[in-house]
Amino acid sequence: MTEETPIYARRSRGRRYAGEAVLRAEDEQLLRGAGGFLPDLPASHAAEICMVRSTQPHAIVRSVRRERALGSPGVIAVLAADDLEFVDDALPCVDMIPGTMDVRQRVIARDRVRYVGQIVAIVVAENRYLAEDAAALVEIDYEPLPPITDHMAAKEPGATLLYPELGTNVVYQVKQRDGNPDFAAREGDLVIRKRFEFHRQTAIPMEPRGVIAKLIDNGERVHVESPTQLPQVLRSALAGAFGLRPDRIRVTAPRLGGGFGCKEMVYPEELLVPAVARKLQRPVRWLEDRREHFAATTHAREETIDAEAVVAPDGTFVGLRIKGWANTGAAYGFVGNTPITAMGAMVRGPYRVPNLDSHMFSVVTNKTPLNVLRGAGAPQAALLMERLLDEAARMLKIDRAEIRRRNLIQPSELPLDRGRTEFAGAYSVLYDEGDYPRCFEAALKLAEYESFEAERKAAAERGKLRGLGISMYVEITAVGPSETARIALQPDGTVLLYSSIMPVGQGSETVQRQLIAEELGIAMEQVAIRQGDTDEVPDAVGTFASRGAAVGGAVGRLAARELVKRIVECCAAACACDSAALRWEFGGVKFPGPADEFVPMAEIPARLATLRRVAEATPEKIEAKYRLEVPRPSYAYAAHVAVVEIDPQTGRIEIPRYTVAHDCGKIINPLLVEGQIVGGVVQGIGEVLRERLVYDSAGDLKTRAMMDYVLPGPSDAPADFRLWHMETPTSFNPFGMRGVGEGGTIGAHGAISNAVADALRDYEIAVEGSGPFTPTWVMETLQRPRRAGPDENRS
Amino acid sequence: MTQPDATPHKKEWGDPGEPRTRLRVSVNGKEVCADVPDRLLLSDFLRDDLGLTALKVGCGEGACGACTILIDGEAARSCTQLAVQTEGAEIVTLEGMNAAGGLNRVQQLFQQHHALQCGYCTPGWLMTVYSMMKRSVCPDSEEVGRHLSGHICRCTGYRNIWAAVRHALSETDGSGVTGEQ
Repeated sequence: MTEETPIYARRSRGRRYAGEAVLRAEDEQLLRGAGGFLPDLPASHAAEICMVRSTQPHAIVRSVRRERALGSPGVIAVLAADDLEFVDDALPCVDMIPGTMDVRQRVIARDRVRYVGQIVAIVVAENRYLAEDAAALVEIDYEPLPPITDHMAAKEPGATLLYPELGTNVVYQVKQRDGNPDFAAREGDLVIRKRFEFHRQTAIPMEPRGVIAKLIDNGERVHVESPTQLPQVLRSALAGAFGLRPDRIRVTAPRLGGGFGCKEMVYPEELLVPAVARKLQRPVRWLEDRREHFAATTHAREETIDAEAVVAPDGTFVGLRIKGWANTGAAYGFVGNTPITAMGAMVRGPYRVPNLDSHMFSVVTNKTPLNVLRGAGAPQAALLMERLLDEAARMLKIDRAEIRRRNLIQPSELPLDRGRTEFAGAYSVLYDEGDYPRCFEAALKLAEYESFEAERKAAAERGKLRGLGISMYVEITAVGPSETARIALQPDGTVLLYSSIMPVGQGSETVQRQLIAEELGIAMEQVAIRQGDTDEVPDAVGTFASRGAAVGGAVGRLAARELVKRIVECCAAACACDSAALRWEFGGVKFPGPADEFVPMAEIPARLATLRRVAEATPEKIEAKYRLEVPRPSYAYAAHVAVVEIDPQTGRIEIPRYTVAHDCGKIINPLLVEGQIVGGVVQGIGEVLRERLVYDSAGDLKTRAMMDYVLPGPSDAPADFRLWHMETPTSFNPFGMRGVGEGGTIGAHGAISNAVADALRDYEIAVEGSGPFTPTWVMETLQRPRRAGPDENRS
Repeated sequence: MTQPDATPHKKEWGDPGEPRTRLRVSVNGKEVCADVPDRLLLSDFLRDDLGLTALKVGCGEGACGACTILIDGEAARSCTQLAVQTEGAEIVTLEGMNAAGGLNRVQQLFQQHHALQCGYCTPGWLMTVYSMMKRSVCPDSEEVGRHLSGHICRCTGYRNIWAAVRHALSETDGSGVTGEQ
């Protein structure tokens, strides 16, 4: 082929895109610093907003005095609850099952504040500096109420109530049962009882939040720009809040600088900023700063779980009983109850455990609302199960790998129904295809499990404590209920996909373009993609639960398949022949006749324009839309093995080796899959070893900056990362794909916790979620008494 | 000497009563002269007044590194200093390192190693790599870790960033770095 050959024709027949490590085209903009994040969007005419947030965890708001603020230079308005009208001022929450008490968050505090950071007033000024000056002059008269931040105290009768009208702080409960939930220990069975305490964390995407709002179309519509994982959900919320038809609202979401679940939420600011734009009839912008982000953006993970496992003498788990309480904070997040639902649904992971009785509760407290964070409740669930397995192995003196082998679900048992669930988008937990034992053995081998004791000894000779931890999980991914995509043949012969999946860093643009190029037999360069504009894609579901590639990719590819049908129909109509006589192959249409002519897709619009002169029936625009129903999520799984090394002189924990064997079904792009797993693991390492949100006894959030909240840095990456891909296609997805965005984090919690416990196995310690395992924690642990013998818990 | 170009991001910094200082500074090789409020942050001056939005504000307190630029050849935070503090300095932002089109060598290596995901922190890392290349930092030295420790990335887990940075530093002649400089 010559240099002049157009790129589509250079593609050799049968070349594949799906499964290839294709580099990301979106990197070019990002590497040039032109990613187009929300703060980069033009907003020179916008007034700037500074939110006035509650400094009190729990108080009656007696008055908001704004005279001094109004007199400050450049101030345009100072607004409080009474100045803004909402038809519905409650933020949406999707996981309120029947019987749930309504503690949805209100957009702005009316008479009562329930957490530090809640919005009480809004200052609008010519720029952010002047808005901040004036915000400091807004005087709020609070009548303090006693704060309650501990969910275990808040759930008790007689505790201070956040919502006195409800009569309780326990606002939601969910059960998950399987087998015989009333199981009991038989003689000789081991009963393990443990309390797991998971600490409060937050996602900290590099990009804080922000909203730009303005009136468009002669003031008849509202345009809201927000980096959200859910533009269409936000549009519905805005329509409800303002009592407008949804088509009067346009939401556009620019590229996100990270999401990790905290942008799977409709936030007060996303309704308030447009409300201000409507009231003042001018564009306004609010950019969150990091300090307010810590209090104003949802938190995650905080739960207390009492677990009881009954284990037969041979190490097989008979049953698991868990009762737990989430510290939900002052109100529901969009999916704030999902983590505890996931606990019951997914706690058993790849292990048989035939009997389950899970009962979980949401408890409101004077803290920032809880929502999801990478993995939702699954990291806690996997950690809980894996800690119990290690404890059972220790007490029964069974090898840690062997006890897992005895409990793993065999491939012949799949698919396996694990019972009904309230998990949004799934109705029952029905495991799909897979081979858990093979994945497990692969990880052990790659991690050099068999020779680890020699490694431990060698480390001890150097004065270091080395430990190894194993964690498997099965993860609910690619959830429904449905997804929609639209695709159009452009006049220049390229295709444009209108996708429902937001780019949050996962490479969704590249994988969707790969799948469409693969389907159509064209070059990736011929596929463009747009997303995040509710005018273009009004009815999408969104970006969460590891569904971007598996569900979004599938629906885009199916839409492309529909587009082929449309193209062939149009070509047939144009040349007045039967569409059955035309064939689509290798990126173009084969026309019938003696010439057996092949027209590549790039030339089809031009060809149709020529043919249209003779056949009036050909439409101007060739488009297809596809809606994919997703009745069942698919279940990804993995085995993680962490090796940690503790320096008893400094308390520092290093991770010399980390191994993952995983199965996310058919892989679209191994480069990006690896990126998701490594990034997820390091995020999990940070959550277990570094990060913690701290409230003081007065209910104030003390961790308000990245200087206080220690994130994993470049030196925290495992020195030796080993990864093994398994590809068992799932029959629950049209293309055999499962999700992979969250798995790294899910596995890391259990693997790191077990490894730390193993390194410190001579000491009486609790690693049941009670992290983070900071150097201080390590040094204190090393002062503790050595462990006694293992047999006292036998029943 | 020229006035900064009008940009779509330009903000009126308000209150005329506010103390202002005339600032003369070189930005990406162009002389810039502007009257700025004394309290204006350098990051806001570059992003909003000059429209140089490649640098990102991630934390506003010097902890994350997303706002890193070069001041007189040294990597520096732009979110924790005032614009007026840079009087007479030579400032280079990522825009000043970009090739006319496409990617320069360091950027290509970041793409090839998949060393970015959401891309919000990436401009800051690149500026630190450029400053390391200027100092001819040895790719296998401990010094690399000291430079990189000033940056946070929430997506990649750092493994691919290490690989891209070491690769860039191993091409010691630094000739791959193109731009207006």
